[in-house]
Amino acid sequence: MATNVKLPELGEGVSEGELVKWLVQPGDVVKADQPIAEVMTDKATVEVPTPIAGTVVELKFKSGDVVKVDSIMLVLEASAGASAKVVAPVAAAKPAAPTTAQPTAQQNFVAASPSISPPVADAKTLATPATRRLAREMSVDINTLNGTGLAGRVTRDDVLSTKAGNSMGTGATRAPGLSIPRPAYQGGGGAEERVAMIGIRRKIAENMQKSKAIIPHFTIMDQANVTALVAFRESLKDYAEKNDTKITYLPIVIKAMIATIREFPMFNASIDDATSEIVYKKYFNIGFAADTPNGLMVPVIKNADQKTIVELSKEILDLSKRAREGRLKLEEMKGASITITNIGSIGGTYATPVINHPEVAIIGMYKIDEKPVIKNGQLEAIKTMNYTVTADHRLIDGAVAARFLKSFLERIENPARLMMDMI
Amino acid sequence: MQNYDIVVIGSGPGGYVAAIRAAQLGFKTAIIERESLGGVCLNVGCIPSKAMITATHLLHKAQHNFPTMGLKIKGDIEVDMKQLVTWKQSVCDKMSGGVSQLLKGNSVVILKGEAEFKNPKEISVKSSSGTELIQGKYFIIATGSRPIEIPGFKFDEKDVVSSTGALAWDQIPKRVVTIGGGYIGLEISSYLRKLGCEVTVIEAQNSLLAGVVDPECAQVVTRKLDKSGVKIVYGAKAKSQKKTKDAYEVTIEINGKDEVIKADKILVTVGRRPNGDQSNLKAAGVVTDERGFVKVDAQRRTNISNIFAIGDICGQPMLAHKASHEGVLVAEVIKGYNRVYDAKTVPAVVFTDPEIAAAGMTEAEARAKGFIDLKIAKFPFAANGRAVSMMETEGFIKMIADSKTNVLLGVHIVGPEASNLISEAVLAIEMGARIEDLALSIHPHPTLGEAVMECAEATLGHAIHIIQKPLASTSKTANA
Repeated sequence: MATNVKLPELGEGVSEGELVKWLVQPGDVVKADQPIAEVMTDKATVEVPTPIAGTVVELKFKSGDVVKVDSIMLVLEASAGASAKVVAPVAAAKPAAPTTAQPTAQQNFVAASPSISPPVADAKTLATPATRRLAREMSVDINTLNGTGLAGRVTRDDVLSTKAGNSMGTGATRAPGLSIPRPAYQGGGGAEERVAMIGIRRKIAENMQKSKAIIPHFTIMDQANVTALVAFRESLKDYAEKNDTKITYLPIVIKAMIATIREFPMFNASIDDATSEIVYKKYFNIGFAADTPNGLMVPVIKNADQKTIVELSKEILDLSKRAREGRLKLEEMKGASITITNIGSIGGTYATPVINHPEVAIIGMYKIDEKPVIKNGQLEAIKTMNYTVTADHRLIDGAVAARFLKSFLERIENPARLMMDMI
Repeated sequence: MQNYDIVVIGSGPGGYVAAIRAAQLGFKTAIIERESLGGVCLNVGCIPSKAMITATHLLHKAQHNFPTMGLKIKGDIEVDMKQLVTWKQSVCDKMSGGVSQLLKGNSVVILKGEAEFKNPKEISVKSSSGTELIQGKYFIIATGSRPIEIPGFKFDEKDVVSSTGALAWDQIPKRVVTIGGGYIGLEISSYLRKLGCEVTVIEAQNSLLAGVVDPECAQVVTRKLDKSGVKIVYGAKAKSQKKTKDAYEVTIEINGKDEVIKADKILVTVGRRPNGDQSNLKAAGVVTDERGFVKVDAQRRTNISNIFAIGDICGQPMLAHKASHEGVLVAEVIKGYNRVYDAKTVPAVVFTDPEIAAAGMTEAEARAKGFIDLKIAKFPFAANGRAVSMMETEGFIKMIADSKTNVLLGVHIVGPEASNLISEAVLAIEMGARIEDLALSIHPHPTLGEAVMECAEATLGHAIHIIQKPLASTSKTANA
């Protein structure tokens, strides 16, 4: 029996996912619960399993397609032990055919018409063989395109341009009147290479564009004297080793940030654009930007205010590792109330990060440096670290952000001050 | 038990091509062949017949053109039929050996024997050394076709023969009756006639190659056959044959009346039938239609999802190059590429004298497809310098284009090297070329190919080397 395998629920509030790649091909025999595809939602890539065993007959989507939850992903010919000896479609001649033989013959017929998608070019469609193949590989029905070439010939560009505005690829037609200038051609041969923007990269692009489109960003910057903080962290090294972890600056900065947010609750809010309401959060879920081979990911430390610095350290190490390996669960990348980005390990004095919508602020921390300062008329060498506060100007005024930064840096510059915030 | 990703059944131009592409794609591949590698095409079809046609064409030219050209041969040219057949066989062996090398070079396992499906995943291979069971994830049925036998004319492949037997004759028969005036019958009859044989062609229709090629092209060949002395009996049906002391008596029926023709050999070429009744396809559950063709979809997948069929076995046209194209297609479909059979045209070639070749639609087909307003023109080889210098001026090129767009729809050639000239037309049709594209591409002089360019000009109404006046409209009048 041909059976449809649907995209299962991927998580709360997730209605669709993007097919990153198939892990099976037509003809493959799959076991129940075997992963069949990688599907990406928000920023997590999950492996989708098949609930039943069988032989893959047809894949309904292509890499890059957006698949709605509960839509049919692939068609399986459910196995009654396909490779076993269920011969006997002919055996039906016997008057009392065994019941197992009947469905087998039937099942073979169901597989008889795997639909060809997209349809074959018809006699009146003008396109070169190479263009026809390109359209097929892009899942574009070439018969529906209005060719712009001579005599209505469908050109390579006609096919390529359908994909720009259409991810499903079915019934793709040229968007009338839409003309986005093409980048100038840079020369012959391999001077340019076009790669479909799919998977995490597309998700990042969408999120960034949304944030920048909705949020009026502004950034305030300052330099902190972290001489004491550096010494404080050094003093904890032995303790960290005993506890089997490594303490970086990030968990300490997170603690300082949470303490400061208690004074300025609007930094832990979000704006509900649909209802024009400000949503103040009573929890502290801290997102931190992680650089991975696949691109930017933001794992979230839940209820960071209730965890010790050692616990935070361990959790950060674990989440970062799994982010790099692409093994984060979807739930681990959702629900942040504010985000922190640390590119200090790479370099740069200051940046103006992009807020992770619908949050209203992002804190940036940068590299530690040694600098000369004049103190009481004396030249002194101190350790410095730059910080930025980028905020949503709809909710946070410039002066408020400046006061937040001042209060935050007092804690950073004086770790003992953090003791006063202990709950 | 041996186990493969892909098992190909039949090593003809469909099967061996599929096997090589499958191996190139990284599949563990086996190919089963019961006779010689290369199948009918390389061993008892296309290739050996072309060897015979080439040799007899040269003989004919020596006999008929040489005196005019001032080339004198003292005495008669003697045909050493045994040597001719030996050479023909060496051509086949060379090709078949080449296929063997290519398969081995691509690590395709060659299994010699008769294949029979046991179920959709297993097939047995029976040979003189025993029967072996083979397992495959995918199967490609490329078992081809065989000559149709008619009642009363059982092949003994010596006197009553199919094309296979005729190609093996090592003596020139004196009198041959050819039943069926299709392309195979005419190719063999033509070369037999050139060897001095008396040939009578029995054709059921009222014209040769009816429904196969453009009727005007068929006429040129018919005229040449008549001129060369081949006797053609139209509207006739072969009823029976009887062996007498010195000959066969073939009884034919024309207009309800029986007639008897005497012959030494009888060649039956009434068509080919698919081998759908072989290889125990039923055990795999593969469905065939009432004529024995395996039913396939546009990816050449049968009703059983892991079994594909290509070439003659899966439908018309039964042509080697279609089979090869399908072989590549199917290997790539199995690999998971989105591929489908979407060729606009399968060219057809008939190696008569002169040759006939066609690509795209005939006039009737174009009209049936909704192209109402057509531009049609012919250009004769008599107006082509190279054809004249070859002393092969019979025939013409005919083009059919859509009047609205000037897009080329069909090309029909009868004349020298038609088989080689047609490829340009195939490319033009696949690329969606307009006739201006052909007319404006500079063709080298002096070649037969110039006739293609000139025919395109003629279709536009202004060929140089035939008189067409007044000057017809420019290409501007056709919608761009």
